[in-house]
Amino acid sequence: MKNSIACISLKLLRLSALLSLLFLAACAARQPPPPPPGATQSPAEQDRTVQEKVREPAQQQRGGVQVFPLQNPAVKALLKQAEEAETAGDYNAAAVSIERALRIQPRDPELLQRMAEIQLHNKDYQQALNFASRSYDSGPRVGELCNRNWRTMSVAQAALGDSRSANKAEVRANDCNNQPPQSY
Amino acid sequence: MEKLTAQRRNIAKKPAKASKEKSGRRWFGFFWRLFLLLTGVGLGLLTPWTLYLNHQVTTEFEGRKWDLPSRVYARSLELYPGLTISPVDLETELKAAGYRKTDQTPKPGSYQVSGRQFEIHRRAFRFAEGEESARHLKLRLDSGVIGALSDADSGNSIDLLRMEPAEIASIYPLHQEDRSLVRLEDAPPLLVMGLQAVEDRNFKTHPGLDFRGIARAAFANLRAGKTVQGGSTLTQQLVKNYFLNDDRTLIRKLNEAIMAVSLEWHYDKAEILEAYLNEVYLGQQGSLSIHGFGRASTFYFGQPLERLEPQHIALLVGMVRGASMYNPRRNPERALQRRNLVLGMFAETGILTEAEAEQAASQPLDVTAEPQSGHARYNAFIELVRDHLAQVYREEDLKTEGLRIFTTLSPSEQEKAQRAVTDGLKQLQEAGLPPELQGAMVLADVSSGEIRALVGDRYPGREGFNRALRARRQIGSVIKPLVYLLALEYPASFNLLTLIEDEPVVLRQADGSNWSPQNYDNRSHGTISLLDALANSYNQATVQLGLKVGVKQLLLKLEQLGISTDVMPVPSVFLGAVELTPLEVTQIYQSLAAGGYSVPLRAVTAVQTQQGGELVRYPLRLMPQPNREAIGVLNYALTQVVERGTAKALPGLLGSEIAIAGKTGTTNDKRDSWFVGYTRDRIGVAWVGRDDNQPARVTGSNAAMRVWARLFRELPLEPVDLRMPDGAYWLWVDAVESAVTDENCPGAGQVPFVSGSEPERVSTCLAALNEKDDKSFWKKWAGRKD
Repeated sequence: MKNSIACISLKLLRLSALLSLLFLAACAARQPPPPPPGATQSPAEQDRTVQEKVREPAQQQRGGVQVFPLQNPAVKALLKQAEEAETAGDYNAAAVSIERALRIQPRDPELLQRMAEIQLHNKDYQQALNFASRSYDSGPRVGELCNRNWRTMSVAQAALGDSRSANKAEVRANDCNNQPPQSY
Repeated sequence: MEKLTAQRRNIAKKPAKASKEKSGRRWFGFFWRLFLLLTGVGLGLLTPWTLYLNHQVTTEFEGRKWDLPSRVYARSLELYPGLTISPVDLETELKAAGYRKTDQTPKPGSYQVSGRQFEIHRRAFRFAEGEESARHLKLRLDSGVIGALSDADSGNSIDLLRMEPAEIASIYPLHQEDRSLVRLEDAPPLLVMGLQAVEDRNFKTHPGLDFRGIARAAFANLRAGKTVQGGSTLTQQLVKNYFLNDDRTLIRKLNEAIMAVSLEWHYDKAEILEAYLNEVYLGQQGSLSIHGFGRASTFYFGQPLERLEPQHIALLVGMVRGASMYNPRRNPERALQRRNLVLGMFAETGILTEAEAEQAASQPLDVTAEPQSGHARYNAFIELVRDHLAQVYREEDLKTEGLRIFTTLSPSEQEKAQRAVTDGLKQLQEAGLPPELQGAMVLADVSSGEIRALVGDRYPGREGFNRALRARRQIGSVIKPLVYLLALEYPASFNLLTLIEDEPVVLRQADGSNWSPQNYDNRSHGTISLLDALANSYNQATVQLGLKVGVKQLLLKLEQLGISTDVMPVPSVFLGAVELTPLEVTQIYQSLAAGGYSVPLRAVTAVQTQQGGELVRYPLRLMPQPNREAIGVLNYALTQVVERGTAKALPGLLGSEIAIAGKTGTTNDKRDSWFVGYTRDRIGVAWVGRDDNQPARVTGSNAAMRVWARLFRELPLEPVDLRMPDGAYWLWVDAVESAVTDENCPGAGQVPFVSGSEPERVSTCLAALNEKDDKSFWKKWAGRKD
């Protein structure tokens, strides 16, 4: 009984907080400026960058040729560890697990791309760019992974202030699902 | 005072009854007065002396902070199904990590082998990323590959498990003491109780001195006719360890007693006991003294203290009485006797049952081979670690703060690398090369730049000049690939089939003299392709090409690859008149081997505090080179050095035909021999020459390449990654015609090209095919129209 009262009052409190926020928002003449690149964001906000700008569009465009490199169970186990750390917002731990996996399979394009995405989370845009580029070089160069490679490079280049390269990279991302794999 | 004088007068006035009695009294009076005098003087001196000793002992104890050496660890071996590792290498790794081979079910820190099956009990370890508990595991090796890996207790298969890393060095404090701190609450109860049972049974109650103990010891010694027990309390022993030398003088005994009582007065028993556990002297290793039970445990048993069994604890407790007399490695008989005597005392005092003590007494001594004698073999690598740490830490902190330093060394690869240099040079000497030859070797992981092995001397473990890090020598032809790389960066002008002139060239030098380099075979080879010129390492062609790309560009390229030199931009640089160390050469080629994704070479991956807090981590960071497509093409050219150029003897030496990229290097008058080579995952640089830089009759292929091959034939070999990056691709070409051709044409071969550098010409064969094709195409087209 006591609990449910506490619960209700908590709800009321939340509601009033929400209302006052709305009220304040209505009062504000204009929206606050977007945070400059490199400003600290909450992990949740950062999550969206990688999700919305890299993984989701890449997934939506998937189709056609898909290449899934075989992974050994050890690498899979480490990838899983990295994913868990990433979900918990611990990107350093995620990077450590990926690095461990890279010692086993140094040229695995999926691992390299994961590292790039973690660097994006960490706002180390130069390293994000470098790892995504290496992933592309050693990867299938078509399909979803290729798409993620170029989208990561695009986001990173934009953040580094190179909008021309960023736009080019976006075009390359869209091409990933159209062109056949390059002959080599 | 008045009374005393009166008394004296009284005494003096008393008439003498007999002269004998009188003189006796006089003597008594004399002694009495002397006694009073001495007591007075004694008290007068003793009080400040006691205060002084008290002050000394408390300051020392208060400010006690043991200097803890830093521990340096090798990389952790990752075990997983599919890992390529020979049984010999696996055992090398286990032994380096202090594992004992056993024929029973292994306890933590030991392993058992039966056929292809290994049973290993991994110890608990605090890795850089956190603590992992002990694991009992089984693995099966199927022709050098882990076929199955499982938990020995549950039978469940394991995807991945890392071994704890070998401890490869400690960085000791100046006074050369080695210890690992133990907290009283972490010490095994048997040790804490056993120590008191043997050394000081009244420790809990005495005030620092134990008169009953002294009496008991005296009685025991009397009965035995020799010293079998000492009467010193643990507190006295601690004081002795702290301040006093080993003199058996009365004064020292007195000092010891005063300090012991003083220590007990100020501190509680637990503090004193903990200090004792960490202070007591338990052995010697060369100039290094082993202090405390924590270190002694790993020193003698290769195990942390909490893993020791009763017989091990009994041995260590027994050694307190005389670490060298009861040294189990040198005097195993005496040590065993002493240990069993101690086990008897454990039973007598009830801390072990009779049965437990008997069971323990039936066990062997179990000591490991002297562990750190092996440390010397890592000297060269440790010097690199120290170089690195010196940029970040004060020497003092390294020696006293007990840091945990995680490195990249692979013990099994280090052993192979040293053997390759030692045996390789011995063989060269036997084949008639000068006996003064020295050598160096660096082995690194291609993608991560982690140094796996480093050899700085042909004689293993010798301290002194570390050639891998310190020998700056001309690199000769080893520089040439960079000249070709610069050319390939201009796709409009150069591809691998572009023709250049291998003709005499005369250049005016700064001092006015002429420089006209010769080829190794003293011949000029006329018009040849870039590919042939590089594969055969022709000097004249390289200088001709160099003059087109520019020597300043070459020095800039070196800088881009992480090497700064102050060498003058003169044409002789094209032929390697640049002095670099083997480590620097490794850095240059790492960039090529990794397809242009440079990483700074690393020996240290993380540094932690003694408690496991992360101080610093050196993560993998990529530094891509520009024009990676040209690097891709160059990598192919370097495989041709091995396939048909100056290193064509290599496949025979290796017993393998897989694609390996390599470059030989020889300097003027055959002073230096270099070989750089890489597979997909490993890059190795070998140097051979004389320390005094005199002619040594060595060439790249007759010396360094042989040493290199000795190492690489012992390693898993994967072909070089020849997949071209974005911006370069493979074409079928006719090398004779320098023209694009068809796969099915005679003389067709695949060569990579940077986009925009493809030959414009079409081979006669392809032209003919095209014509036919065109016709058939028109036919078809015409046919379809119908």
